[in-house]
Amino acid sequence: MKPKIVTFFSGVVVFLFSNAAIFAQEAAGQATGVAHHALPETYTVIPFILLLLLIATGPLFFHHFWEHHYPKIAMLLGLTVVIYYLAVMHDTHSLLHTLAEYLSFIALLSSLFVASGGILIKVDKKSTPMLNAVILFFGAVIANIIGTTGASMLLIRPFIKINRNRIKPYHIIFFIFLISNIGGALTPIGDPPLFLGFLRGVDFFWFIEHIWYIWLPTVLFLILIFIMIDSRNKGEENGEENFSGKIELKGLKNLGYLLIILISVFLDPAVLSWVPSLEPLPFGIREIIMFAVVYASYKTADREILKANEFDFEPIKEVAYLFIGIFATMVPALQLIAHEANVLGNRLDAGIFYWSTGLLSGFLDNAPTYLNFLSAAMGKFGLDINVTQHVKDFAAMHPLYLQAVSVGAVYFGAMSYIGNGPNFMVKSITERAGVKMPSFFAYMIKYSIPILIPTFLIIWLIFYYGAG
Amino acid sequence: MKTLNEVLESGLHGLYYGNRILLPFRADILKAIIENDIIMDFSSNSVGGEYNVYDDFTEIYFYEYKDISEDVTEFETIKLILVEFGEDIFDFKNHRKIALHVKEHHKLEIEELNNDILLIE
Repeated sequence: MKPKIVTFFSGVVVFLFSNAAIFAQEAAGQATGVAHHALPETYTVIPFILLLLLIATGPLFFHHFWEHHYPKIAMLLGLTVVIYYLAVMHDTHSLLHTLAEYLSFIALLSSLFVASGGILIKVDKKSTPMLNAVILFFGAVIANIIGTTGASMLLIRPFIKINRNRIKPYHIIFFIFLISNIGGALTPIGDPPLFLGFLRGVDFFWFIEHIWYIWLPTVLFLILIFIMIDSRNKGEENGEENFSGKIELKGLKNLGYLLIILISVFLDPAVLSWVPSLEPLPFGIREIIMFAVVYASYKTADREILKANEFDFEPIKEVAYLFIGIFATMVPALQLIAHEANVLGNRLDAGIFYWSTGLLSGFLDNAPTYLNFLSAAMGKFGLDINVTQHVKDFAAMHPLYLQAVSVGAVYFGAMSYIGNGPNFMVKSITERAGVKMPSFFAYMIKYSIPILIPTFLIIWLIFYYGAG
Repeated sequence: MKTLNEVLESGLHGLYYGNRILLPFRADILKAIIENDIIMDFSSNSVGGEYNVYDDFTEIYFYEYKDISEDVTEFETIKLILVEFGEDIFDFKNHRKIALHVKEHHKLEIEELNNDILLIE
């Protein structure tokens, strides 16, 4: 069954390529902001909603069925929208644009995932609330350099190991809050939604410039709560154990690969004019470098480190398959939301965008949600997310809205296991280490609702209440 | 019957067939981790897992898996916390942590867990 679907999907991709001439014409139109298509029918968002609901419920309620069939389900739902756009709307431009965005997205995520999987950090120190707090802060910072995925992969094992004698679920939950989500709000590498914003035209340093003064107090506030909880955990007394205090880092060459990924993010003709464009191909030099890093970093990785990290392609394979479906099915949703926001106009303020982006990001995936609401916020001002110059203008003239959508998408990703890709990866690694994690609902009832919602409420009151 | 130490020293391997694994020593299984599943309830014969100790080997069934070779990939392991048969189960020093690597031809490589691989009891 699987090879047939792959062949079919490949056929569609080949068909898209065969329409490269049309794409080139429409790309020229886009540059002038005149590439417009008729709106899709409302029912075309059903595959998107269905896929997101299945992503939310599948791993919880029909785990083994979902594990074996999610690639087919995601692809089939994606194909229904692709066929609709080809056969009914005759719109190849939107599909090729989405394909290019998908390739950029998966190139970044997979390269960070594989490169960081070949690095092993050993910290032989006694677990204390202060040491944990330092690791959480350090992780939140480096999440902006190697992504929330990279930072989570790199630090979760040493974090569990340091706390092996007193580990409790809250350790991992705060790790998810800070390193897998909120930490990565300062750069496009930090979290996938911001990278999608960057691909659409938001300046790389826009995020750090406009979000740091929300980021720093949020991170410090959550770390303070963590210290208060962790100070009450005395754990097992283990007097026999001696700690050398040594910190060991193995797989240094993979740090070089991470640096290559970081540099390659900027290799975009829209960022650096001397970078050649490969249009009409739906990828560029950046993606080629990132995929080369995936191959090279895996092939040259120390097998002992991969073994120690229990490296497995499954988590990134899952993201790659699901996001084929998500990216394809979200095309009509993006266009419809942008249109609706345009119609609703002034009734939507920055606070509404903060909460609506956030609450949906908490339960759906935050990357497509970000694009939907960025599109909506831009639509309010008559701007089109598909036009790079419009995105740049929006970031310059309406920073409050872009900030609200960005903070909402990144921060609220911590609300549930399904809010952001690394959340599930961290949960999975922790459970494979033998630590039982709270269920989907227990995570929210015991942790994210009582801790994060009040925090997010304070942010709203200070920065967005009555603003915009 | 071989002891766990003899098995580890001589590099003897276990076996797997579908969702059943066979270990060439006798042991009480306290905790098994396969993929994301942490199995500690061996009381039921319909969910989670079940193990039986025979004269020369120990067998474990993982009910949620049809074929473990499809789920456990190259660098992944099945992890077990066990106590060798006859040892004092209440003494934590007797709790051994082992990893099982799924290899070709139904072979299970048995390895005592080193500090690099995480397993919290």
